[in-house]
Amino acid sequence: MSSDADLKKSRVVYYAEDIEALEHVLDRLLDLSRAKRAMLIDVEGHMVSNRGKGADELNVESISALVAGTFAATKETAKLLGEQEFSVLFHQGEKDSIQLTLIDDRLLLGIIFDDSTTIGMVRLYASETAKTVHEVLSRPHDGESDASSALSEDFSKGAEQSLDDLFRQ
Amino acid sequence: MSCKIVYYGPGFSGKTTNIQKIHEQMPGDRKGELTSIKTEGDRTLFFDFMALDLGKVAGMDIRFQIYTVPGQVYYGATRKLVLQGADGIVFVADSSPDRMQANMDSWQDLEHNLAERNLSIRELPVVVQWNKRDLPGALATEEMNRRINLCGAPSFEAIACRGEGVLSTLKCICTLVCRSVSATQLRGRTSSEAELRAAEVRAAAQACPLAAHEMRFVARRANADSVPAAGVPSEPVVLATAVVEREEAPKAPGVVEKRPAAQWCKEQAPAPPKAKRPMGPAAVGSRRKPSRSDRVSVIAVAMLLAAAAGVAVALYLLKVW
Repeated sequence: MSSDADLKKSRVVYYAEDIEALEHVLDRLLDLSRAKRAMLIDVEGHMVSNRGKGADELNVESISALVAGTFAATKETAKLLGEQEFSVLFHQGEKDSIQLTLIDDRLLLGIIFDDSTTIGMVRLYASETAKTVHEVLSRPHDGESDASSALSEDFSKGAEQSLDDLFRQ
Repeated sequence: MSCKIVYYGPGFSGKTTNIQKIHEQMPGDRKGELTSIKTEGDRTLFFDFMALDLGKVAGMDIRFQIYTVPGQVYYGATRKLVLQGADGIVFVADSSPDRMQANMDSWQDLEHNLAERNLSIRELPVVVQWNKRDLPGALATEEMNRRINLCGAPSFEAIACRGEGVLSTLKCICTLVCRSVSATQLRGRTSSEAELRAAEVRAAAQACPLAAHEMRFVARRANADSVPAAGVPSEPVVLATAVVEREEAPKAPGVVEKRPAAQWCKEQAPAPPKAKRPMGPAAVGSRRKPSRSDRVSVIAVAMLLAAAAGVAVALYLLKVW
């Protein structure tokens, strides 16, 4: 139990019901803000949730890594400048723009939007979404969920077999 | 489940070459795009990155995120960022005799960066790669192990530019990382960390095919009384972790700095005072000359901003927006 609680607290593990709730939160964010896409990315570069138009077409792995890298770089820049961090980043493009918002020091909320909405609208709902995401991830889980999240004892052997198959190709 | 593997090592040791060869040789349905944030001179500016899909194991989708870091000395700040959250490390060393100091400095830098995050290199899955074995006068692996591989990690010889040794290195680190994750989950992190790590190293010795001399280093790392015999059931071990290679940039002529590896993390002696320049009539009042720490901060900020700009360009090219 303590292991899962620690992992959940450190956001290493995301439970299925949390992911479903987060998807609903992002869908609502997109409806209210009229943004194009919304993503939740772990600060270490793992995509947690990705919703919106053309979400399946994105290279989510690279985007997650780049977004996390961007944020990490600016965080260190902030420290050198005497700030704790820059909790909001904004990149403006010709057609689309992207805003990154830090949530709980662990997640990044990335919102991609165009001229159909405004930066103020996006930031308004981004801050509300950040609070909702925090509430979702702070919810306790029952024991059944905790037990199912543990890796099976066959995982190690299965992983090695998969590695043998992969490198044999 | 996603695991982060970082290739570390001195400049020009072959970290980027490793990931390029991995990307070339992996099947198309198992790999993502190779993303590189680099300078116009093709030197890694922030990181190289690719994702590797292992497939479904025990009901879970396993994915490895492979990073390389810039090896040039003055990219220390960005190396720390990429090293964050690493599940395993591959240290790529240059077998050239004249790069031994760079290898040792890079190893010390790796240990220092991990220590800043309260981690020890002995606690992480680590694999060492002796690259550029084709160079004339390449140092013997025994000597390189003795001087560089201080934690006794599994090691592999490689000629990355030909793709030799690249996949075996990667496979080993992936194995060690998976075992580590499995051990952490199954044990619930309730076991003694020392026992867990020692078990990981013992199992690592059985996970990867190692030469006899490499087994000795693994045993030293585990502080075990004896190397486990073949066939002994191993405890869950962290899967191999890719070590980030750091490539040390060749220094400009006349700016060669030779220092013992132990001095890497120590502050350098202050520069000798320069001759005072007579102040003109316009220089009213005192002007504080920027101190060394100010210059370092400015340089670090500039590098981080350049890296962030590179990332923004990469995001744009990926048609994110």
